Amino acid sequence: MKVGFIGLGAMGRPMALHLQRAGHELFVWARRPASAAGLPATLCATPAELGRHCEVVFTIITSSADVEAVALGSNGLLEGMAPDSVLIDCSTIAPDAARHIASKLAEKGIHFLDAPVSGGTQGAIDATLAIMAGGDAAVLERVRPLLDCLGKRIVHIGPNGAGQVAKACNQMIMVAAIEAAAEAMRLAAASGVDCAKVRQALAGGSAASRVLDVMGERMVKRDFAAGIDARLHHKDFGLVLEAARKSGVPVPLTATVAQQLNALMAQGWGKDDTASLLRVLEA
Amino acid sequence: MKIAFIGLGIMGRPMALNLLKGGHQVTVWARRAESMQPLLDAGAIAAASPTEAARGNELVISMVADAPDVAEVMRGVAKGTGSGLVAVDMSTIAPAAARQIGVDLAAAGVDFMDAPVSGGEVGAIAGTLSIMAGGSDAAFAKAKPAFECMGKNIVHVGASGAGQVAKAANQIVTGMGVLAVAEAFAFAAKNGVDRNRVREALLGGFAYSKILENHGQRMLDRNFKPGFKSWMHEKDLNIVMQTAHELGLCLPGSAATAQMFNAMVGSGMGEEDSIAVLKLLERLSGQE
Repeated sequence: MKVGFIGLGAMGRPMALHLQRAGHELFVWARRPASAAGLPATLCATPAELGRHCEVVFTIITSSADVEAVALGSNGLLEGMAPDSVLIDCSTIAPDAARHIASKLAEKGIHFLDAPVSGGTQGAIDATLAIMAGGDAAVLERVRPLLDCLGKRIVHIGPNGAGQVAKACNQMIMVAAIEAAAEAMRLAAASGVDCAKVRQALAGGSAASRVLDVMGERMVKRDFAAGIDARLHHKDFGLVLEAARKSGVPVPLTATVAQQLNALMAQGWGKDDTASLLRVLEA
Repeated sequence: MKIAFIGLGIMGRPMALNLLKGGHQVTVWARRAESMQPLLDAGAIAAASPTEAARGNELVISMVADAPDVAEVMRGVAKGTGSGLVAVDMSTIAPAAARQIGVDLAAAGVDFMDAPVSGGEVGAIAGTLSIMAGGSDAAFAKAKPAFECMGKNIVHVGASGAGQVAKAANQIVTGMGVLAVAEAFAFAAKNGVDRNRVREALLGGFAYSKILENHGQRMLDRNFKPGFKSWMHEKDLNIVMQTAHELGLCLPGSAATAQMFNAMVGSGMGEEDSIAVLKLLERLSGQE
């Protein structure tokens, strides 16, 4: 199949390569053409041109505004993609923005799935991402063979926007767990106790979690080089709080964690791993 | 002075009336024509649009709901005038939005000032508002006679956006202040202690505040009529939290308070005064 891919960052590049290795013909567009260097793909001049070639297009870029520009802007995908083609957006953006893009594309008969992912760079490389899809179930079934190249757990959550809601829930739980792990590590260290042993002991009990496993280890080793840039979690928390506000749902813990992320950004650790929440507590 | 006044809601109407009382010539425009009538009865001139309102006046004042409204009104104002006009927005909007409107209007030769107020409807009617102004010295000097008709404590805080920063700071203090008094009252009641006496005792010490005195009394009277609606306080705290997010600023107390107001709006208390946060606390602790 002719597959388009836009957003060749730490997540996107390995995802695009998985699709190519599965035998699909890859078309890419990049804001900075240099980021497409070395990919076995056809480089297109604009998203519209890429859209003209492809049956299915993936995007994984940073913000709601970026996705809207690539999809709906001038020389955007909307101008090039044919009716009945599918745009799969794996970015983490606002549910409202996903719904808006879906409705604009639908006017031209183009299908849209919001399909944000969880699992980080390692999950992208290992093709073990969790994929949370919002949109038409039949469209998801059509493209499921492609998603199977990228991830292990692919769940249809509901209509457009539902995938982004699930991703917001994912971020709330994950980053709050990172903060909890950081506070526990901080308390252990301040009490003169070996953090590594605390983490080891906890891993066997009710507090065991993937976050304690992965981020906890980073904290113990004081390895703050990104996995996932903390600035992206900071961005996501802006989206979560905005969604909570629009729904009138109180999220007191999320709001508190968001302030710790603000402090992390102020310390200049936005491009380090979110395990840096430990360093905020030490500041 | 010849002044145009745009936006005649709960706050704008009495503020415009006070300008008329101060002897100024006032041209008014409001989205809903019927809200202009009380001003026309008091001697104001009607305009058909912000553009028309601005034409021929020296000073334009707006008092509307949110940043997009201010931007739209001011785009109209800029069309209606040559350079040299001073435009003052007294709505509460984000500092960054105010600065952007200032930049846009400067290109059209209009000197823009943000001058949000504190003091509520009571202060607007009495002409005793606190006014926090951000912008040029020249704009402040031009607007000052108008400010003096509407307010008492008038401070030129700094450059463009500084008035909105001060207002946001005001909302941090009042938001947390209302929650603090409500929590103290919930605490006293759950301990079986008379909160009237607690308030009375606290008024004499370091916990004294205007909020303990006025808002506290209204809590004891269970008078939850606005005043200042809790959805508006939620909106203002959202400005605070968004600005903190953009700047990388840690505000844990404001964040917790904003979530309480968020819960109030979500549970249908948005139209009540922000002191109704007491009812939310009572509900959470089974004190109903």
